[in-house]
Amino acid sequence: MIPDIVVAVTLGLLALSIVFAVVRAWRGPTPGNSAVAGDLIFFAFIGAVAVIGVWLSMEAVMDIILIAALLGFLSVLSLARLIQGSKR
Amino acid sequence: MSADMVVTVVGSALLILGAAIIASAAIGLLKLPDVYTRTSAIGTAAGLGVSLMIVGVVVLDFNTLNLIKGIFAIIAQLLTSAIGSFVLARASYMSGSEPVATTVPDELADQADQASAR
Repeated sequence: MIPDIVVAVTLGLLALSIVFAVVRAWRGPTPGNSAVAGDLIFFAFIGAVAVIGVWLSMEAVMDIILIAALLGFLSVLSLARLIQGSKR
Repeated sequence: MSADMVVTVVGSALLILGAAIIASAAIGLLKLPDVYTRTSAIGTAAGLGVSLMIVGVVVLDFNTLNLIKGIFAIIAQLLTSAIGSFVLARASYMSGSEPVATTVPDELADQADQASAR
């Protein structure tokens, strides 16, 4: 179905980007940087779910991706509200 | 080359390309100078990367229902990543993080002043 080397390369790239994002969230310096890093971690997670779902030939993989793409927006909005505080 | 093999090669290439674009966004997250350029990198590159990976999944596991779900997921992904990065950058500006010194047009300055005066 899908070669194992493709799974390894893709998951390796996504893991590398999650590590970079964690480094950025750690260093900061502002809360906005951590929020952007969390956004990237979410995108990389969607990609990892897609690859693993195809690898294990799960039926529900497209449903998971669709719901994640729709609902990830809410986490970004609430993070932005949290950064902004009481100011509009 | 049989049709099955073509499908596998094209789908794998799309998956690897999408993951590489997300990784390039992560490198930009480390290297770029301020929060606004970082938000720009994530909003454009990660939206494109996830869209390419969704196309790869649809190619590898093709049926009509997956095609419809994939189209909806790509539309939602492109819309929400653009709007989300815009909202994050605006919230960063309103909470007072400084852009790099070479940022020339600063059209939100008045609104930020009004917000801090209230």
